[in-house]
Amino acid sequence: MEVAKIIENREINKIYGLIGNINLTTNNKNIGIITSGKFKGSVKEYLNSPKTLSSLKMVLLNESVLSKTANECSICELKKISLAKALIENKKYLVFNFFEKELNYKEMNYFKRLWNRLINDYQKTIIIFTNDLTNFLDILYEIIIVDKYQVINTILKKQYFSILKDTNESPIQEIINIIKAKGKNIEDYIEVNDLLKAIYRLKEQEK
Amino acid sequence: MHELYKLNNKTIYDKNTTILYTSTFNYIEDAIFFINNHCVVITKERDDYLPIVKNEYYELFDELELKNKQDLTEIDKLKIKILSSLSSENKIYVFFNVLTYLPNKFKTKLVNYIKSQNKIIINYTTDIEETLLLEYLIVFHNEKIIMEGKKEYVLQEEKILKKLGFNLPSIVELSIGLKYYGLVNKIYFNSKELVDSLWK
Repeated sequence: MEVAKIIENREINKIYGLIGNINLTTNNKNIGIITSGKFKGSVKEYLNSPKTLSSLKMVLLNESVLSKTANECSICELKKISLAKALIENKKYLVFNFFEKELNYKEMNYFKRLWNRLINDYQKTIIIFTNDLTNFLDILYEIIIVDKYQVINTILKKQYFSILKDTNESPIQEIINIIKAKGKNIEDYIEVNDLLKAIYRLKEQEK
Repeated sequence: MHELYKLNNKTIYDKNTTILYTSTFNYIEDAIFFINNHCVVITKERDDYLPIVKNEYYELFDELELKNKQDLTEIDKLKIKILSSLSSENKIYVFFNVLTYLPNKFKTKLVNYIKSQNKIIINYTTDIEETLLLEYLIVFHNEKIIMEGKKEYVLQEEKILKKLGFNLPSIVELSIGLKYYGLVNKIYFNSKELVDSLWK
């Protein structure tokens, strides 16, 4: 599905979540899709810009990757290099295609901060396309639901758990659903600490 | 427990094993090794052809819709690749960070099915939650094994895991908190067991 169609008439400088079983494509010069796609030649040849080092730094890489070819890079490095390229090309819209799947939580937190910087200081619009948005709910503006041909719904992030029952249930949500199935009155939480406090309160009330 | 392979300083046993790796690791050499050793190897690399899936597997995994679907997405193709591999007679399945792309329901069914066939799963992943799927855990960083053992022991090494950039799985983190408050008396690795211990 053409990304331009998905973002048509949407507010800019925001972070959107995108859910749906689709392939993302674009012919629009302003849109960069961040993937683990391979490139020809070395990283240095591929990025080929005076901004190469600063862009690499921004994506948590350094000059040590410059001489590598695509086959010598890990999938995570390929994704980060794809982002560095999109930053060098100054794409206005950055679409992250299952980007977080190779990141640990430290890196994920870094990229969440980077995305906020990109929308605020660099006037970018970010779209996070993945199968579980739970980790991003704190930074999302809206969630767009698509199928093969069209946008079928746009929801607020607080509706995520109630509307998107068929998407991947996060581990915390799985626990919450088991508690609810026992007839306990508990809200939906994203953070373990919040769930812990809620369970503690429930147990205290039962005493 | 028998040693199966010694691979890039990783010892692979005849046990269902998760290899939790940090993001700079390039697993191509490992993948080639396993292919040459008659394992079923599943990566996210695109194939030029679409493999054939036996009807029984489409049915077993509730994926009949995939059979005649046009415009397959990357996730659809990955599912087809995996379903087609289930007819293989090879005894070892190696997944290179692909399970994380699959819907939970499909993932759980797949792991249970392979286990039920008495075959071995080796799952390379960067997703700490996936370490709960299999019994043995190897943590790999900068070409070295940092820790290995039963997941129940390795996952309690919070300091080392955090130093490597990993959080604890949510269920383990929650169990530790509940244990601290005296609401449970051990660390749980299964959501249902944890909730059952809180409300019998």
